[in-house]
Amino acid sequence: MTKNILLAAVGGQGLVLATGILAEVALRAGLDVKTNDVIGLSQRGGKIMGSVVMGDKIHSPNIAPQQGDILIAFEALEAKRMLPYLKDGAIIIKNDYEMAPSLVQQEKREYDPDIDSLLDGKGEVIRLDATAIAKRIGHPAVANILMLGVAARYIEIEDEIWHQVIQEHVPPKSIELNLEAFDLGKAGTY
Amino acid sequence: MEKRVITGNQAIARGFYEAGGRVAASYPGSPTVELLEAIKDYPEIYAEFSTNEKVALEVAIGASMGGVRSLCSMKHVGVNIAMDPLMTFTQTPISGGFVLVTGDDPGMSSSQNEQDNRILGKFANMPILDPSDAQEAKDMTKLAFDLSEQYLRPVMLRITSRLCHSRSIVRLEEPTEPIYKPFVPDTASYCMLPPYTYEAQHRMKDKMAELAQAAADLDINRLEHRSDEVLIITSGLMYHNLRSVSDEISVYKLGLVYPLPIDYIKQLAEKYQRIIVLEEMMPFIEDELKIHGIACEGKNLFSFTGELNIEDIELGLLEGGVLTEAKYAQLRPIETTPRAPLFCAGCPHRPVFDILKKTKAITIGDIGCYSMGLLYPFEVLKTNISMGASLGMVKGMRKAMDMNGDHQPLVAVIGDGTFFHSGLSGFANLQYQMSGEENITYLVLDNSTTAMTGGQPTSGSKSMDGAGQSILLDDVLKSMGFTDIQRIDQFKYKQAAQIIGDAIKRPGIKIIITSRPCALHFKIREPHFYVDPKICIACRSCIRTNCPPLRMKEYEGIGLKSSIDPAQCVGCSICAQVCPVNAIKRFGDEAKGGSDD
Ligand SMILES: Cc1ncc(C[n+]2csc(CCOP(=O)(O)OP(=O)(O)O)c2C)c(N)n1
Ligand code: SF4
Ligand code: SF4
Ligand code: SF4
Repeated sequence: MTKNILLAAVGGQGLVLATGILAEVALRAGLDVKTNDVIGLSQRGGKIMGSVVMGDKIHSPNIAPQQGDILIAFEALEAKRMLPYLKDGAIIIKNDYEMAPSLVQQEKREYDPDIDSLLDGKGEVIRLDATAIAKRIGHPAVANILMLGVAARYIEIEDEIWHQVIQEHVPPKSIELNLEAFDLGKAGTY
Repeated sequence: MEKRVITGNQAIARGFYEAGGRVAASYPGSPTVELLEAIKDYPEIYAEFSTNEKVALEVAIGASMGGVRSLCSMKHVGVNIAMDPLMTFTQTPISGGFVLVTGDDPGMSSSQNEQDNRILGKFANMPILDPSDAQEAKDMTKLAFDLSEQYLRPVMLRITSRLCHSRSIVRLEEPTEPIYKPFVPDTASYCMLPPYTYEAQHRMKDKMAELAQAAADLDINRLEHRSDEVLIITSGLMYHNLRSVSDEISVYKLGLVYPLPIDYIKQLAEKYQRIIVLEEMMPFIEDELKIHGIACEGKNLFSFTGELNIEDIELGLLEGGVLTEAKYAQLRPIETTPRAPLFCAGCPHRPVFDILKKTKAITIGDIGCYSMGLLYPFEVLKTNISMGASLGMVKGMRKAMDMNGDHQPLVAVIGDGTFFHSGLSGFANLQYQMSGEENITYLVLDNSTTAMTGGQPTSGSKSMDGAGQSILLDDVLKSMGFTDIQRIDQFKYKQAAQIIGDAIKRPGIKIIITSRPCALHFKIREPHFYVDPKICIACRSCIRTNCPPLRMKEYEGIGLKSSIDPAQCVGCSICAQVCPVNAIKRFGDEAKGGSDD
C-alpha cells in the first residue's frame, strides 16, 4: 500500500517542517518513504509544494497528476492549484485562511471564488480555519502541526510515534503547544 | 546500522564526514545552500562560506594540495565563476581527494538559467557522478573521493534541485580515518606553466581513458535486464521516475555519467534492438554515444528543458512506441490566480522600490531578493543578468546613451552580498575613463545578509560566522575614490525619497547606501498597524507598496477601504508613512496590545 500525500502552502507557513515530520513518522513506522519540497524563491510569499510518498518500496518522491491520496493545504488558493494532482475521492484538508496574491491585492483579479465548489467536486473536504484556531490556542505558527493532526486521522500510524517526532522537530519551548495542536487536529475538537 | 531520513544535501554532508573529509568551502546558492550548512554540524571539519565561488574553489584546492580530502559546493552558475581556477587545477595530479558538487536546476525553480554542468565537467576532464537518491548521494560522495585519489582527477558530483531537497532513507556508517599527505613541493605537479602543462595534457587524457575502461565494472553502473527490445540508459532521479512508470523495461543505470564505458555500451547496443537515453536538459549521454557511433534515441522523445516527471517520461515512451498504454494522466492545470513571490512584510527593499517606481528612472538590476523589484507590481528593474553584472552594465549603457545624446538619468541597485561576491571589481572599474559628468545613481542595499539564499553572513555583516569579520562597505567605496556617498535610513520614507530624488537629478556618480537589515533574518518586533476605515480615502498608496498584509476590504456601512492582516504585519510603518491622510495607525497607541509575532 502506497500513500501519496501532497502539501501546498505559501512561503513561510512551515511546509518544509511538515514534510520533514511526515517523513520521519513513516520511517519510524517501518515504511519506506521519499519526500520532496519545491520551494522556488523560498520564504518570500511565493507558492510552495511538498510531496510525501510512503509505502513498502518507493521509487520516485514525485507524485504524478491524479495520484494524490491526501492534500494538506495551508492556504485556500493553493488547495485549488493542487487539484489536478489528486485522485477522485481524495482527502482534502483545507485551511480556510486566505493570503491574497499580488494580483488580488492590486485588484486586478478577484480571489478565486470557485475554490470550495471545486474542492467538493473532487473529494472529501475537511475545512478548518487552522490559522485562527492555532492563534486561539497560543500561536498562529502551529497551524501546520494542527493540520498534520487532521491528516493523521487518515494515516495509520500510532500517536506515540507522531508525538515523539514532533517533539524532536519543534523548538523546545513550543513542544507543549505543538503537541496540543496535533491532538486537537487529530480529535477534531477545535 | 542507524537509519535516517534525510535530504540529498544532508546525505552528501554525511558522506563527506564518513569519507574523512576535512575542509569544505562553498558560496550560497539554491539548491546547494543546505549542504555546507549541514557540514558545519561536524566539528572535525573546517567549513566556510567564502566570498564567492572562485574563492571557495581556491580554498578547497589549497586544502587538497595541502593533503586533506576537500569538498567545494555551489549552485550551477557558481561554477562559471570558479571556472578559471578549475580549468587549470584539473591539470594537476590530486593529493587529498577533491570533489566539486554542482547543484543544477532543471526547470529553473530558483535560478536565472538552466545550464547543464555535465558539459563543464567534461570540459574540465572530470569524472561526473549523478546520484539518484539520498543513499546514493552519500555513497557516491565517498566513492568520489576514492576515484579522485586513484585517478588523480577532481571529481564532479552533479546533483539537481530535486535531489538536493528530496528526503529518503539513508544508512549511517562510521567515518573512515582521515588522510593527511603533507605537501611536497613539486614544480611539475603544481606549477602550471609550460613546459609542465604539456605533460599534464597527457596525464588528464590517460587517466580519463583508464577510468572509462574500469567504468563497466563499477557497481554504480548497473544493468537491469528485462527484455531485449529496448534498453533505456539513464541516471539520477530519472531512474526512479522511470521505474515508477514501468518495471518491465531493461535499464542501464549509470552512476558515473562521464567517462562512459563505451566498449561495454557497444556490446549492449548489439544485444538490444533499441537504445533510448533518458536524461534531463542537454542530450549529454546521447551525444557521447553518438560521437562513438552508437545509434540511440533520446531528445526526440523527451524535452530538452524542464524537469522530466513521471508522466513526462511515460508520454515520451508512448510516443516512442515503447509503451502502448498510459497509466498516468497528463497534468491539466486548473486556471488559478498566479502567486508570484514578493518582499516580506517589513522588507527593507520595499520603500526603496516604492520610491524608485515614482522616479520613473531606468534602473539596472542585480541578483538578490531585490531582483523581485522586476516583478509586478513594482516592475522597476529593467535588467537582470548575473551577480555583480549591474556595475559593468550601467557603465556600458551610460556610454552608449551619452554618445547618442541621451542623458536621462540611470539608476542601478546592488545588495551587500553581491557587492562582496563580485561587485568590488565592478566598482573599481566604474570611474575609469569617466568624465565625472555621467549621471549614474547607485543604490547599495545593505541589509546585513545574503537574504535570498537564506540569510548567510556577508563580509560586511556585523560578524562573519561569529569570526568577527566586518568590512564596512562605505569605507571600501571611499577608498576607491567615490566622493558622493550617503548612507540613509529608508524607513524614514520622506527623507529617503528626497535624498534619492535629488541624487538622480545631479550629474556624476552618486552612491546611496541603505541601512535597514533584512526583516526575515533580523526580526522587527514592533506592534502591528491597522487602518482606521473612517479616515481612509481609499487612495491605495499603501496597497501599492505590495506589503503582504495589506488588502482592500468591504467595511459594513463604510465601503471599500484598506485593511491590514495583524497576523502578518511586523510594524515597519512604511504603509503609514505613505498614507496621505494618516489613516494607518500603530496598534496600542490608544489601546494596549502587543505584536502578533
Ligand atoms: C554566481 C551565483 N552564485 C550564487 C547565486 C545565488 N544567489 C542568488 S541571490 C544571491 C545573493 C543575494 O545577496 P544580496 O546581494 O545581499 O541580496 P539580498 O538577497 O540580501 O537582498 C545569491 C548568492 C547566484 N545567483 N549566482
Ligand atoms: S528575506 Fe529579507 S531581504 Fe528578502 S524579501 Fe524578505 S525581508 Fe526582504
Ligand atoms: S506596517 Fe504596513 S508596511 Fe509595515 S509590515 Fe505592517 S502592513 Fe506592512
Ligand atoms: S494610503 Fe491611507 S487613505 Fe490611501 S488607501 Fe491606504 S489607508 Fe486608505
